Amino acid sequence: MNKGMKRAGIVTVLVGMLIAAVVFSTGIGAMPISPMQVIAILLAKTGIRVPVAYEEGTAAVLWMIRLPRVVLGVIIGAGLGIAGAALQGLFRNPLADPGLIGVSAGASLTAVMLIVLQSSFSFFADSPLLQYYLMNIVTFCGAVVAVLIVFRISLRNGQAIMSTMLLAGIAINALCNAITGLMTYVSTNEQLRSIIFWLMGSLGGASWRTVLAVLPFVVLPLIFLPRIAYALNVFALGEREAMHSGVKVSRLKTQLIICATMAVAAGVAVAGVIGFVGLVVPHIVRQVTGPDNRILIPCSALLGAVLLTVSDLLCRTIAAPAEIPVGIVTAIIGTPFFIWLILKEKKSLAI
Amino acid sequence: MKALSRALPAMLLACALLIVNTAQAQKRIVSLNGTVTEILCALGFEKQLVGVDVTSTYPASMQKVAKVGHNRNITAEPVLALQPDLVITTSNHVSPAVLEQFKSVGVKTVVLTQEYSLEGTCTLINQVAAALNVAAKGAALCKQLETDRQGIKALSRPKKVLFIYARGAGTMMVAGKETSLDKMITLAGAKNAADGFKDFKPLTAEALVAANPDVILMFDTGLESMGGVNGLLKVQGVAQTTAGKEKKVIVMDGQLLTGFGPRIVQALRELTQKIEG
Repeated sequence: MNKGMKRAGIVTVLVGMLIAAVVFSTGIGAMPISPMQVIAILLAKTGIRVPVAYEEGTAAVLWMIRLPRVVLGVIIGAGLGIAGAALQGLFRNPLADPGLIGVSAGASLTAVMLIVLQSSFSFFADSPLLQYYLMNIVTFCGAVVAVLIVFRISLRNGQAIMSTMLLAGIAINALCNAITGLMTYVSTNEQLRSIIFWLMGSLGGASWRTVLAVLPFVVLPLIFLPRIAYALNVFALGEREAMHSGVKVSRLKTQLIICATMAVAAGVAVAGVIGFVGLVVPHIVRQVTGPDNRILIPCSALLGAVLLTVSDLLCRTIAAPAEIPVGIVTAIIGTPFFIWLILKEKKSLAI
Repeated sequence: MKALSRALPAMLLACALLIVNTAQAQKRIVSLNGTVTEILCALGFEKQLVGVDVTSTYPASMQKVAKVGHNRNITAEPVLALQPDLVITTSNHVSPAVLEQFKSVGVKTVVLTQEYSLEGTCTLINQVAAALNVAAKGAALCKQLETDRQGIKALSRPKKVLFIYARGAGTMMVAGKETSLDKMITLAGAKNAADGFKDFKPLTAEALVAANPDVILMFDTGLESMGGVNGLLKVQGVAQTTAGKEKKVIVMDGQLLTGFGPRIVQALRELTQKIEG
């Protein structure tokens, strides 16, 4: 089997998995909706009438609540997957994850501060929804600012030094986490519950509006990253080698950071911190596809979407009507698989 | 004619049933707040409640009603799966995004503001009653509360009471100003020993000794999590206070003490008796 065939096969399998995940997630939930009803409701949206009986309320729940949630899971999962792949390429290290450059820590800090200090701000207290959107915007800005600081620290003569960036990331993470801890400490019980739920991630509260808000931030990197995948392959040989082969290394680094930050920050802003997807997904994909970023990046997007969609389905059905934070589920599903991979790798090393 | 007279009672009964049905409008109510649940039950809507949150612990019949998750992380679908025609809650309990989802699906959603005072309780009762078109019932319930309140014996002297919220010895918080507990302690005629700050603050040994409460007040579940009074006395600083020396630790049910619902007078009576006792 040649390389092209194998790649097409992998992509086909992943697309199949994603379709299956979306279909199941759309069909299963607290509100019982039969598969036929799901099809009928969705067709009715496109104007095709099918003779299947369903209630108005059922249609509304499926269309306004469940479907946006599934779509949001797909988008954010894909974003986390590619961001992980991009950063692992940038750091030339399979253990890099989006948290490394301060995205999650910066976002968490601003979100938690907003939750705790909300009672002190009164100028928008009359509009809870405004508060909610403000939270998304502020969180996004927090994530971007944290990354900017890390990036600025690592610059030397306009060149980002990777080892410095890693250290700067650790420093900013530590600082943000310390202040987040302080905020947690002074928070009231109610606030603490919001904070904990937020720090573990949730796709609840998704609407078409949140989907549209996140979409461009994930779609742009999805389109752009595969186009710089070849340069990233060359970059894997080392910075100097890449420069000699004509890759504009400095620009490449900036592009990677911008893409990864966009995708992760948008996700964190609407769904809280969902760990593990960005670290594990590219790693798992690499085992199957090999290290070529041209295939690794699209496949990471697909698998990220699958993992998050399935995790969200589990988190809202296992303990229904209560919900488990989705970040916990992604870790529980991902970890065994991850460990199995490590063990497999170890065997191949021992030979 | 005979046939008609025989059928008349049945017809009347059918008419009566119809009237009752339209009056109740076939309500399927979901309440996402323990106090609102209590008020609904006091107003006679116990049978119409199809779902409640976990803070709805009273009346006992609520244990049989479907639970829709904890009030802080309630999501829309489990609530809507119960096909309610009314969702009722207070503003500090459900995330704005979820409220928005209820509205987008077209389910009538009533969000009320709860204020921790006797007037606040009455306002809340009246608002719930208004939402369900039983304003007269609400007014009657308020009047009853006012009357009952006159019967509470005042404290012989204003003791200093400190409320400690505990979930095991690791998490211990003290209720300061502007908390529901501060308001209850004040209403009972006692003094909140922790009056130097707002909201809940972590308990420190020195602050505890400095506050030196005569009585320590806790939720029954909270004291249990500490391993009873002896467990509490092991906490640094507790034994050095007047309350610790005299082992004056009183407990109450959390929803009763902080609900500020129809049982507020009952809660006050119990609290004053326990502080006095």
